[in-house]
Amino acid sequence: MLECSQLRVCYQEGEHALLAIDRVDLRLEPGRVLALVGESGSGKTTLARSLLGLAAKNARIDGALHLDGEDLTHLSEGDWNRVRWRRIAMVGQNGAAALNPVLSVGAQVAEPLIVHRGLGAGEALAQARTALAAMGLEPGLARHYPHELSGGQIQRALLAMALILDPQVLILDEPTAALDPPARKFVGEVIREQRRRGKAILLISHDLDSCRRLADTVAVLYLGRIFEELPAQDLFAAPRHPYTQALVRSYPRIDAVRDLGGMRGDAFYRMVHVHDRQAAEHAHTIGSDDPRETGHAPEQGCLFAPRCTQAQPACREEEPELLPVGEHLLRCRRGGIVNLLELYGVRKSYAHVTALAPVDLQLRQGEVFGLVGETGSGKSTLAMIAAGALAPDSGKCLFAGREMEDWLRQEQTALARQVGIVQQHPALAVSPRLDVFEIVAEPLRIQKTAGMPESLRERVARALAEVHLPNAPEFLRRFPQQLNQGTLQRLCIARALITEPLLLVADEPTSALDPSVQAKVMRLLLDLQIEKGLTLLLVTHDLGLARKVSDRIGVMHAGNLVEVGNAAQVWQHPGHPYTRELLNASFDLGDSDELHL
Amino acid sequence: MRGKLWSTLTAYALAAVLLLMLSHALLRLLPGDFVSAHWERGDALLDADQAAALRERFGTEESFSGYLSALARGDWGCSLALEKPVLDLITEALPWTLLLMGSAHLLATALGFIAGMEVAWRRGSPLEKGSVAVMSLLDGVPELVSGLLLLLFFSLRLEWLPASGAQTAYAELAGGAWFADLLRHLALPLLTLVLADLPGNFLLARGSMLLVLDAPYLETAQAKGLPPWRVRYRHGARNALLPLVTRFGLRFSLMVTGALVVETLFAYPGLARLLVEAVGRRDLPLARGIILFSSLAVLVLNLGVELLYRRLDPRVCHGH
Amino acid sequence: MVIDSRRRLGNGRLRIGGGLLALLLAAALLAPWLSPYDPQAMPFVPLSLPDGSHWLGVNDAGMDLFAELLYGLRNSLAFGLVGGFAALALGVAVGLMTAWYGGAVDAVGMRLADVLLAIPLVMPLLLLAVLAPPSPLLLALLLALLSWPSTARAIRAQALSLRNRPHVAAARQMGGSTFYILGRHLLPELAPLFLAGLAGKIRMALAMEVSLAFLGLFEPGRKSLGQTLRDGIQYYYLDIWWHWLLPPLLCLSLLILSLTLLAVGCEALFDSRLREG
Repeated sequence: MLECSQLRVCYQEGEHALLAIDRVDLRLEPGRVLALVGESGSGKTTLARSLLGLAAKNARIDGALHLDGEDLTHLSEGDWNRVRWRRIAMVGQNGAAALNPVLSVGAQVAEPLIVHRGLGAGEALAQARTALAAMGLEPGLARHYPHELSGGQIQRALLAMALILDPQVLILDEPTAALDPPARKFVGEVIREQRRRGKAILLISHDLDSCRRLADTVAVLYLGRIFEELPAQDLFAAPRHPYTQALVRSYPRIDAVRDLGGMRGDAFYRMVHVHDRQAAEHAHTIGSDDPRETGHAPEQGCLFAPRCTQAQPACREEEPELLPVGEHLLRCRRGGIVNLLELYGVRKSYAHVTALAPVDLQLRQGEVFGLVGETGSGKSTLAMIAAGALAPDSGKCLFAGREMEDWLRQEQTALARQVGIVQQHPALAVSPRLDVFEIVAEPLRIQKTAGMPESLRERVARALAEVHLPNAPEFLRRFPQQLNQGTLQRLCIARALITEPLLLVADEPTSALDPSVQAKVMRLLLDLQIEKGLTLLLVTHDLGLARKVSDRIGVMHAGNLVEVGNAAQVWQHPGHPYTRELLNASFDLGDSDELHL
Repeated sequence: MRGKLWSTLTAYALAAVLLLMLSHALLRLLPGDFVSAHWERGDALLDADQAAALRERFGTEESFSGYLSALARGDWGCSLALEKPVLDLITEALPWTLLLMGSAHLLATALGFIAGMEVAWRRGSPLEKGSVAVMSLLDGVPELVSGLLLLLFFSLRLEWLPASGAQTAYAELAGGAWFADLLRHLALPLLTLVLADLPGNFLLARGSMLLVLDAPYLETAQAKGLPPWRVRYRHGARNALLPLVTRFGLRFSLMVTGALVVETLFAYPGLARLLVEAVGRRDLPLARGIILFSSLAVLVLNLGVELLYRRLDPRVCHGH
Repeated sequence: MVIDSRRRLGNGRLRIGGGLLALLLAAALLAPWLSPYDPQAMPFVPLSLPDGSHWLGVNDAGMDLFAELLYGLRNSLAFGLVGGFAALALGVAVGLMTAWYGGAVDAVGMRLADVLLAIPLVMPLLLLAVLAPPSPLLLALLLALLSWPSTARAIRAQALSLRNRPHVAAARQMGGSTFYILGRHLLPELAPLFLAGLAGKIRMALAMEVSLAFLGLFEPGRKSLGQTLRDGIQYYYLDIWWHWLLPPLLCLSLLILSLTLLAVGCEALFDSRLREG
């Protein structure tokens, strides 16, 4: 079993250092696969190298490394060479470049046998040929040179070479990148086989699909720290950390129906200032004021805070610890993805017509929730209750953990600030007496926000720019009658977002628009959602639209929320008969029994 | 692969033919005719008979095929000044030049390569920075400067080593003593040439090795737990060597000017000194013969290097 | 951080090299005024040691050695400059043309470069010397004609990568002519490369001149640092090394050093520019 504790790798360049890995704990157990996922620059390859004692000359390594209890941390090069390849082997991510171009493939595969086992050249070569054959390569290939082999063949050769001494630990760095599906499948089988044989495997990949299928546990790495460790089957189904969720959203999958999401901001690196070469413990991070501009991680507080959809001021002060939450290990002050909105047993009637039977709904912060239903299903009512614009007859409503009534009683303006609403008919949603400027500025006027750093004019200008509308004085003086529907709806969106709300409730935002404009406005809405990390409750009768944009879908029928689940899940395995009906109807197919996607 | 080999050989053959043609046509490039041009510079006066006799002797009307067959026969002309056949003079002087230039180039290449490689391995260290600085400064210092300084210091001031010649004249030494004497005379000229050739090789080797050090396959070699020497030489140097091999012939050509100066400065009885004297005396047959010979030799050397390279780099032979 | 230090070092080298070269250049240019006597005048006592009126003494033909040094420096440097600039101009022209036009032009140019690179530079010069007494100008130009390939290769490599840059493509799309684009977009980017190449070429031409002069291939009366050394070495058995041989050697060494510093300094600068840009 290979174990690293509090591993820290710092690349020194003069007075400054690049912190690549920050106090990472990992355990590789025999017969289990640990997948390590993260974006470029997260430190994955540095970690892999450190496990083999390979680090650049200017790297400072702290922390401990143990193999079966044996301390590898302060091993000399000579001792490391007895561990490398014999007990820990690696397949790098460079494909053909990982092989020496002037030596034959067979000679390179045989080399570990000659050096570590003392075999003669002839016998080593024979064993190498056998190993290559075991990977599905014809033995004759051993005489060829790397530049004569295809990508898939190279990967197999690298695998054969890594396994030739039958090591206990196998590290694979992006083994399936740049491979076609059959080759990928083959590599997956090799991994499974080696797992069966009891090897401890570290799989580094940004192919989340492979990670889910092949790994037992997945560790998520961000800027050199582990942010979540979870069982592989939960990776797509139930990630708990906002970062993991965002990663999953950004990943194209064959079975996903939602369009690619994204994550706001970028963060590439962490620079530290090292006072002297010995005392790296005294290093403190340095950086600019606005991490978003330079790509530098924040100086203090949670590393992910600038990009998080649910960061609070306290998140920026103290770095959270990695703590167990259920079966996961989570590094989040708020214990993972929180529910922004919770409705329990909410009921509403209008003059003996039950609009809403008791409904339970939770909205996770940062997600896009598609609420689907026909006219009269109660979806709009539910949406308005969620926005705090309508009071339910009974039931509990919680917004950001506080009772809605509480909000409305004590800080109504505060609640209003945090919720934005976009309605179906833009022409009706704005007063014909107000010009563009006033329409957009209205929420701010009502809020009477004192101590604003910028003037009203600047904020309106910014809001208009975000929805790609002009800021010219002539435009600002226009009245709604002079604008088309698409522009009006954008205006409404700008108005809804000008107070920087956490929740945006959009009730059929595009159905009253011309088809040509619908896509544009929808696109805008989604971009803004990613950019600002909004929670979006999208109410629509169009299941197709909901499928394309939502993380989760809720289906309403006659005042009941009949089904809630992941968009992919609901789409492919609809549970409720009504959902199936809806699906069939949208495909306009006659026979509902045969439809199964 | 076969095809490529033939095209290379043809290219070299063509170059050789071109050289021969140029050499043949050389005499015709002179304004007027050769005899008058040569003798007009001196104080001797020729009468018609003498001039005619000379013209006949150093006839310029031979055809190209005649020229070629003469060369093949071993008749490379006759030196005007020394009154001996050119080929004889060449074969007398050739061994000395081979000894001097040959060992200088081999030494400089081998030392430069090993040093450059080892220094690259220790990249970032003070040794590396210092040696690169020194070598950069040394690179470009003409053999005239280094040769003169060495001569003045080691020979004239300290009198440790002889100032001229390849061996002590009239010494009648044999065996070990003769060899030692040879080496003593060889030392300064050799050192001068090596000092001039070494920096370029060093810098080239270091640059090449630095590229190799960053290559992924070197990390693979380290990850395989191979001993450092194996990583450095079998994986590193083996690849870093290639650019040096490619340029072996070119760097030899760069040495020619230096050889001319060094052999003249140290009065070393090699081909280069012979050439310089021939040029100084306007001894055209000798000069032409030496230039033709050395050009063909350099051609053969380059061809040999190219063939060697094909064996070293499998990417050339087996296509890309 | 790393970039800064390299840049600083590069600048230091440039300054020292440039300063040194400027000094020597000034000495060469002002030779007629700085020199106390006509270098060709031979009225003085031959082989006399340095004193108040002859700072470096007198050579075997009765000429003042200091005057000889100055004029020798002048001639050698002139040869180096002519040969260097001509070689650079040719190299840049060929490098740019082959990179820009590609195709047949490139193929022919590079083939020619390969052939020329294989020829030892000094051989054709010797050939010329045998056939007819060569003027230094002719030799310098011939040298340039033979030595452009290495610069051409380097320029071509950079130009090829520049050619594909978006700002060049934009200029083309805007309708810029070839010469306009070459002049305005490519040449300025390549400037540091020129300087490094120029320093290298001048150094090579200079070394060639002194070597050829030392070998006695120029007219006997022509002054050159190499010629002075050639004359002086004949009298090595006398104690003349310190006033006859050492000054030209020193002069030559300083020249070479200044050019090397310039070349290396430029390269360091270019490297750092490359990395930042």
